[in-house]
Amino acid sequence: MIKNWRVLKEMLRLRFHGIMVFRLDFFGPFFVDGSLFLVQLMAFSAIYANVDTIGNWGEGEMMMYIGTYSLLNAINMTLFFFGINGIPRKVKSGELDLYLSKPISPLFRLSFEQISPGSIPLILMSLCIIGYGMQMTDSTYLEGEILAYCFWIVIMEILYYELEVLIRSISLFIVTTANIEQIEAAGLSLCMKLPGIAFYGMYKLIFYLILPYGIMATLPVQSMIGEMNGKLALYGITVVILFTILTAMVWKQGLKHYNSASS
Amino acid sequence: MRKYLEVAKIYMKAQLAWRSDVLFNMILTITKMLFAYLLWGIMFQGKSMIGEFTFHGMLSYYIMSSFLSQLEMSGRVSYEIQDRIRNGTFSKYMIIPIGIEKYFLSMQAGIVMFYFSFQLIASMVWIFILDIQFTFTGNMMSFLCAVMMAILGIIFMVQLNYLLGILTLKYQGISTFLMIKDNLMELVTGSIIPLALFPEAIVKFMRLLPFYYVTYLPSMIFTGKCEEEAVLGVGIILSWCIVIQFVISVIWKKYIRKYDGVGI
Repeated sequence: MIKNWRVLKEMLRLRFHGIMVFRLDFFGPFFVDGSLFLVQLMAFSAIYANVDTIGNWGEGEMMMYIGTYSLLNAINMTLFFFGINGIPRKVKSGELDLYLSKPISPLFRLSFEQISPGSIPLILMSLCIIGYGMQMTDSTYLEGEILAYCFWIVIMEILYYELEVLIRSISLFIVTTANIEQIEAAGLSLCMKLPGIAFYGMYKLIFYLILPYGIMATLPVQSMIGEMNGKLALYGITVVILFTILTAMVWKQGLKHYNSASS
Repeated sequence: MRKYLEVAKIYMKAQLAWRSDVLFNMILTITKMLFAYLLWGIMFQGKSMIGEFTFHGMLSYYIMSSFLSQLEMSGRVSYEIQDRIRNGTFSKYMIIPIGIEKYFLSMQAGIVMFYFSFQLIASMVWIFILDIQFTFTGNMMSFLCAVMMAILGIIFMVQLNYLLGILTLKYQGISTFLMIKDNLMELVTGSIIPLALFPEAIVKFMRLLPFYYVTYLPSMIFTGKCEEEAVLGVGIILSWCIVIQFVISVIWKKYIRKYDGVGI
């Protein structure tokens, strides 16, 4: 643990060193993803000018949903995204050898070596959107509800991380994961615009279990607005545990399958 | 003209090499259609009209909008120009006896022609799967105007992406700006929601911009709405094409001198 912490600090130092060379790109992720979520906010503001509720969610709940999705995305962008995203390329080029031969967990190094401090303002922007949504609902939120929300954010961030690793681990078995990554992007794009409460039947099965992007921002918001019950909480935790086991299995099996540059 | 036709033909054939891309391009229209179907399905519960749309009118709009926006693939033009200027291989286009902008227009024409039939099939499949009572204009004049507007819209987008691409000559790295542009385009072209749902003042302002005429207005006209704007729409998007062409020639003349062919 202490060794990992020291390695993380060193990687962070090296990363700052690297990004300062291209200063214009420093805040790139913030502007790109910031504009994406601002577009969502504007679109839903226009929708709510024509309807009062979507399901039983008013505009405030929807703002909280967009803010929550933005927060999950911002934490992901800051900590893991750029590192994990490079896995398929490193497998293809054989660069993964360098990670396997070091006395540290390869997944740990891959996950945290591309930390993006430029995305931190996105976290602050997301918190502002969530705060604005909370104000719009005209409800008072107790400490317990806020703690529950924070708990679900942590749990769902783990799920987000695992889904990213899982999808990119497939590159250890097959030549290209470009199409699978396209499906991931499509699922993320859909669930960013649509809260889980809108899914039913087959769509619910897909986005609540097979590609559980539908629960990632929905459950934290539901815990905050008092729509969470024991059954739903148990379901959310079970999904995360299942994906933790699945991701660990696929990653380990993938490494056994990895044949260096000839993969 | 023949050489540009050859470019279009080559790019049309080249798409065949990437068959899984074609398949995924068709399948991925599901994101837009599923979003529309689920979102508007839940909102139309207990309502027959939202704005000027019925449920099936709304889905018809998304079918058309998705069809047109999937055909508009000119985003790759700016990335290609940017990458080539950055690594110094943009010279490839400067030494061949061909107009560079026309080359990219021909390239886009070849790609659009290839994808046209596939996107049409995808749209029909969605109409069938989602059981949409598709509404389509019966006015021939409006239909022709919408077709012209859609073609001019694609030309305008190629010009815009070409313009953004050549700005690399001055600004060196524009990928962040291009990604922001992609995000904003989703909103201003009416791909996320029909622009008619925005307040009237915003719609009036949007009418002055070219993006209103790229996919939104043609989609509305194809589904039998806003037909009174058809003729004026063609005039406005044509004017924008002329204006942007003028800007391109000014920017090109000004910045091409900065290109040294060795990369950045």
